[in-house]
Amino acid sequence: MAKVGVYVCHCGSNIAGVIDVEAVRTFAETLPDVAVARKELFMCSDSGQEMIKQDIRDGLVDKVVVAACTPRTHEPIFRGALSAGGLNKYLFEMANIRDQDSWVHAQNPEGATQKAKRLVASAVGKAAKLRPLEDKYVDVTKAALVIGGGVAGIFSALELAKMGFTTYLVEKEPSIGGVMAMLDKTFPTNDCSACILTPVMVEAGNHPNLELLTYSEVEDVDGYIGNFNVKVRRKQAYVDWAKCTGCGACAEKCPSKVPDEFNMGLSNRRAAYIHFPQAVPKKAVVDMAHCKSCGGRAIGTEPKISEKTGKPILAPCEKACPADAINRTLKWDPAGEIKEIKVGTIVVATGFQVMDKGWFKEMAPDNKNVITALQMERLISATGPTGGKLLRPSDNQKPHTLTFVSCVGSRDEKHHTYCSRVCCMYMIKQARLIKEKYPDLNIYMHFIDVRSPGKDYDEYYTGARRMGINILRGKVGGLEVLPGDNLRVLAYDLDAGSPVEYESDLVILATAMELPPATKKLAQTLGLQFCGSGFFKELHPKLGPVETATEGIFLAGCCQGPKDIPDTVSQAKGAAAAAAVPLCQGRVKIEPTISEVQTEKCSGCGICVPLCPYNAISLKLHAEKPRATIDITQCKGCGVCTAACPSAAIVLHGYEEGQIFAQIAALTA
Amino acid sequence: MPAIILDSEKIKDSVRRIMDLGGTGVLKCVQCGACSAVCPGVKAGFPVLCRMLIKKLLEGQFEELVEETSTWGCQACNRCTEVCPQGVRPQEVVFAYRRYQASELAFSSSATTSQMNLYGTGHAVFTEAGPLREKVGLPAKAPTSAYDEKAQKEIQTLLDDSPMGELGLF
Ligand SMILES: Cc1cc2nc3c(=O)[nH]c(=O)nc-3n(C[C@H](O)[C@H](O)[C@H](O)COP(=O)(O)OP(=O)(O)OC[C@H]3O[C@@H](n4cnc5c(N)ncnc54)[C@H](O)[C@@H]3O)c2cc1C
Ligand code: SF4
Ligand code: SF4
Ligand code: SF4
Ligand code: SF4
Repeated sequence: MAKVGVYVCHCGSNIAGVIDVEAVRTFAETLPDVAVARKELFMCSDSGQEMIKQDIRDGLVDKVVVAACTPRTHEPIFRGALSAGGLNKYLFEMANIRDQDSWVHAQNPEGATQKAKRLVASAVGKAAKLRPLEDKYVDVTKAALVIGGGVAGIFSALELAKMGFTTYLVEKEPSIGGVMAMLDKTFPTNDCSACILTPVMVEAGNHPNLELLTYSEVEDVDGYIGNFNVKVRRKQAYVDWAKCTGCGACAEKCPSKVPDEFNMGLSNRRAAYIHFPQAVPKKAVVDMAHCKSCGGRAIGTEPKISEKTGKPILAPCEKACPADAINRTLKWDPAGEIKEIKVGTIVVATGFQVMDKGWFKEMAPDNKNVITALQMERLISATGPTGGKLLRPSDNQKPHTLTFVSCVGSRDEKHHTYCSRVCCMYMIKQARLIKEKYPDLNIYMHFIDVRSPGKDYDEYYTGARRMGINILRGKVGGLEVLPGDNLRVLAYDLDAGSPVEYESDLVILATAMELPPATKKLAQTLGLQFCGSGFFKELHPKLGPVETATEGIFLAGCCQGPKDIPDTVSQAKGAAAAAAVPLCQGRVKIEPTISEVQTEKCSGCGICVPLCPYNAISLKLHAEKPRATIDITQCKGCGVCTAACPSAAIVLHGYEEGQIFAQIAALTA
Repeated sequence: MPAIILDSEKIKDSVRRIMDLGGTGVLKCVQCGACSAVCPGVKAGFPVLCRMLIKKLLEGQFEELVEETSTWGCQACNRCTEVCPQGVRPQEVVFAYRRYQASELAFSSSATTSQMNLYGTGHAVFTEAGPLREKVGLPAKAPTSAYDEKAQKEIQTLLDDSPMGELGLF
């Protein structure tokens, strides 16, 4: 007969404030198979755990039931106590009498106590029938993948590479850098964004363990922690990057004009182009969607031979390239080439986008002098469309009155209810930079309230007030277009309790940060979940901030939620550290609480195969007959196959039929 | 200015009463002021509209505001509802409060006249346009309730049977 030890926890007053713990303990003593029943203020404390260990050492108990909070956070602790006491750690069962009982039935102590007794009886029923299980291990591929080459991805990848792991950094654009590369200066220190980011980008580009896969996207991922197989699709650039020196001659000659994404559409780029001056890698691409195939040089064809000169007729880009790097004879191939890589862990760092101003009809979005804050960054950047001069887009004149509008699409039920977290600070930054350069400008900033809680942030904000920047509390209600490209701002001064109106010649909207819709496909491929705000969901908001529900996949940067650069970099380094753990260990543990086919009972009907949500089951020949086999690395122990098998040939270890029936019997007694 | 004494029971009562009268979104307000930035009533000089009305109600000033004329400055244009980021529907709060004021007979005089006109002619605002109409070749009497006793009777019955009728205005 089993000797079950039952340990009832008070959890301070969390449980004992509602449930009569002593009544549950005495009840447990009456259950069959129970050898001892004890109670303790905090079972998870050292003294609580010691109690279990001592009973095991004394030979009093050989199965353990703890009635306490939740296995989600505490099962590992108690399993550890069993091991330390010298017992197989899977001979443990937890009765959740806090989350599922005292917390939800706080108004009904008597009922809650009854329920606790039932839960304990059920756990004891199961525990008595538990069997020891052994952990299994599989080897790990000592390489990592980072998806997204913004500041988050760059730092995660560099950390992993510096730890000695082969690291792949996949970026969909031709260069790494992300949004930070587009910024002019960065709060709260006002250092030039490119000046601090470029050296890190160059380091990433040169690190021997780091392979940059830019102009590429992750197409497919399968496998599991330690052993992911990844297909990366590299878009066809029509430029041989081994030869391209990044001189830019092709772009100079290319006649096609396309709004430049890097300048947020404020200027044009060519179809043959280099992403931005400090690009890493600094290589050209020919964007086929906008290539005019000048001179009849269609892609994928051999050049025509001139009748006059007898020489091939080349397109301007080809002709201009001194390195002979442009290859227009390559076949038109929108799919590009697929590269297959194997990695042990993955960090997702795909970042964010800012909302388009077109969503906000009340903000005169069609007016050229209404711009988003990211456009403003480009407008004041030395590498931007005006070379850093503040000129308003409608007539290239210097504006005299500037208006900053906060919370456009953030903190708004019609769009996003969350705070985008960086807008207040970057608007103050832009206002300060402009005021420093042009002290005669009038600057009005409208905030619902100013949020500046970071290190040195509030000093930055009060500094702006001292510079004579006008800050008004109150949300802007709308903009009216006036003749002559000016705008009338309809605002409100909360402190005066009165509407305010004035003419402004440039208006900057701090549009909300959001997850780019294109990343939803990636989420499907990786099995990521979304949080209420639409960003990728972390495992636990406090205790698992870089982990995801999929083991071996981690998050960094704004794809997990809006954040500034200091927070992004901290999280990126955290994600790298977490992603390195399985790689350092060299092997990953496979929980033994998964299913196994008893081959001699299996009839080979195959019903389980399509039912498994994790594709873990296949039919394999066994003594020349097809029999189901479960891949232990794929099985998640969900139990679907166990329930479906008509021959009862599949056991789910730790949840065997006899164990479940014992629980049901105890609950229905 | 005397200080507002904050009293939690009074605040709860104020919120419940305004919600019962139709201002159901009042607790969602974050006092951003966007509504008042676009409100023509506020701009015309009625200060206790939308945001400020909500603020005072949320401070428990329900009965104290009964003589406030600002609420009658609301044009029902609903611009506040359009721009409010929290889905408060401020216009509904304003009208809810007006219902309370009406029940206390705390009408603005401008409002009473139009109510009377409505009762009498079926038009809140009515101007005699006979000669003008004739000048452009139209019959002097427009086909409206103003010249139609049967229609007027119907309108009066409707008003008599409505909560307005209970006020004994007509
Ligand atoms: C106007 C503005 C001003 C700002 N100013 C400041 C400031 O002064 N100081 C500060 O601290 N913060 C500032 N921020 C915030 C800062 O931009 C972010 O904290 C930072 O850029 C986040 O970096 P990230 O790597 O998470 O995301 P991103 O910079 O968005 O990088 C994500 C990268 O992933 C790539 N990617 C996306 N999807 C895929 C895919 N499926 N496959 C491959 N690659 C993909 C993208 O192309 C991009 O390169 C500002 C933000 C804005 C909007
Ligand atoms: S001209 Fe040739 S070498 Fe120069 S950037 Fe273009 S492709 Fe590269
Ligand atoms: S950070 Fe500031 S501007 Fe941005 S959403 Fe939050 S409050 Fe609004
Ligand atoms: S509906 Fe009334 S309160 Fe709202 S904006 Fe119009 S006038 Fe103002
Ligand atoms: S716009 Fe909405 S949230 Fe803002 S003050 Fe008016 S009612 Fe309140």
